[in-house]
Amino acid sequence: MDVRCRSILEEFDNNIEVFKKMQKTVLDFLEKSFDETGVIPEGLESRIKDRNSLAEKLERKGDKYESMTDVTDLLGVRVITYYTTDISKVAALVEKEFEIDWDNSVDKRKSLASDQMGYMSIHYICRIPKSMHTDETCPKLNEYRFEIQLRTALQHVWATVNHDTGYKSEIEVPKIYIRQITRLAGLLEIADEEFAKIIGEITDYRRRVESLVESGNFDELSLDGDSFNSYIRIGPFDSLNEKIAAINKAEIRDVSLFPFYEVFVKLGFSTIGDIERMKEKLFDKAYQFMRIQIGATDIDIVASNVGIRALCIVWILDNGGDKNDLVEFLDILNGGKTSNESTAERILKIAKKAHIRERD
Amino acid sequence: MDIIKNREGEKLCLAIKGRLDTTTAPQLDEVIKTELDGVNNLVYELGDLDYISSAGLRVLLASQKVMNKQGKMVVTGVKDDIMEVFEITGFADILDIQ
Repeated sequence: MDVRCRSILEEFDNNIEVFKKMQKTVLDFLEKSFDETGVIPEGLESRIKDRNSLAEKLERKGDKYESMTDVTDLLGVRVITYYTTDISKVAALVEKEFEIDWDNSVDKRKSLASDQMGYMSIHYICRIPKSMHTDETCPKLNEYRFEIQLRTALQHVWATVNHDTGYKSEIEVPKIYIRQITRLAGLLEIADEEFAKIIGEITDYRRRVESLVESGNFDELSLDGDSFNSYIRIGPFDSLNEKIAAINKAEIRDVSLFPFYEVFVKLGFSTIGDIERMKEKLFDKAYQFMRIQIGATDIDIVASNVGIRALCIVWILDNGGDKNDLVEFLDILNGGKTSNESTAERILKIAKKAHIRERD
Repeated sequence: MDIIKNREGEKLCLAIKGRLDTTTAPQLDEVIKTELDGVNNLVYELGDLDYISSAGLRVLLASQKVMNKQGKMVVTGVKDDIMEVFEITGFADILDIQ
């Protein structure tokens, strides 16, 4: 190793703390940005180059480096995402917030020829801009370059396996295996595209559902988890809850109504419109059912499920349901408690008193 | 109202006897505020609870909120009259009643 390389190694040894500060700054920034942009990374990895690895690199490519600032991967950060769409979001973020050395950055997706398959990550060579972080005691924090790699989980799998096969030494690996690995790269590229397509379609579907719910086109909404979730977000049972709560001037505590999705499926509802019609038809009966019970107490707190719960009970009874149907309903809601039998019997008595059901 | 506390490691069992109402609920509230540190399994034994008011319900819900973050809460031995209150208010579907 010549004098210049030894000097680079010495500078590296003397500046390890700088790289540790850079590492923390970059990771803190990326983690905060993930929260803000809604990207859920599959992995966020980082490493400061191992001294022996740097020494070996300087031995191999010493002519390439005049000083330590020429070595761009002393700090490496890798962001692994589930979807290619998230790669684009993170790439936009990196390009906006870091100072990019475009001459040394490379988008491997674009550098591959149209008939080539293989390594697909994006490599950015960056500096931390002063606008992001400065440290008067450590000006080199904004001077040293570092590398950010972006890749999907599938690209990461391929890159790791490909690395483990010793892809750089074709002499050792027979061409047949290189061909097989390359074929897999194509397969995984297609899988990445298909995942992105499916996620895109699900997002479009959810937007369409929300739009139909907001515009009140409930009959066009098949009952599924997404449509029911969008539906309950508009507070369809608020007016019934408020009327019930007003009996004793009760406080209403918000609770999840989502467990009722399974109830409606079991009751045979097929659209959100079915639930709306049930609500319109049985609103008064449900209120009456609750008035008889709450009015006889001094309770001034109820959960926001009282309205939907009463509607379901009244619907079951209105459609000829019996004690077993009520027990089944309660089983779905609270997981098959032994008390559900006695609860069903009590419901039947109240229903009779409220003239919802004339017989037990 | 009597509260019998039994702590075994990270499990706390609270047996409530008598009436949990406006007068006695602050007593249970105090227990919740001071004794849930390090508890990941809170068990309410309500077999001897004769009455629960809205104030009592609010304390149970407050402890449920704490336990949602640090473990689980179950309610056991509930008598019919108390169960009726849980049902009428809709909290029977929220509380883990065994």
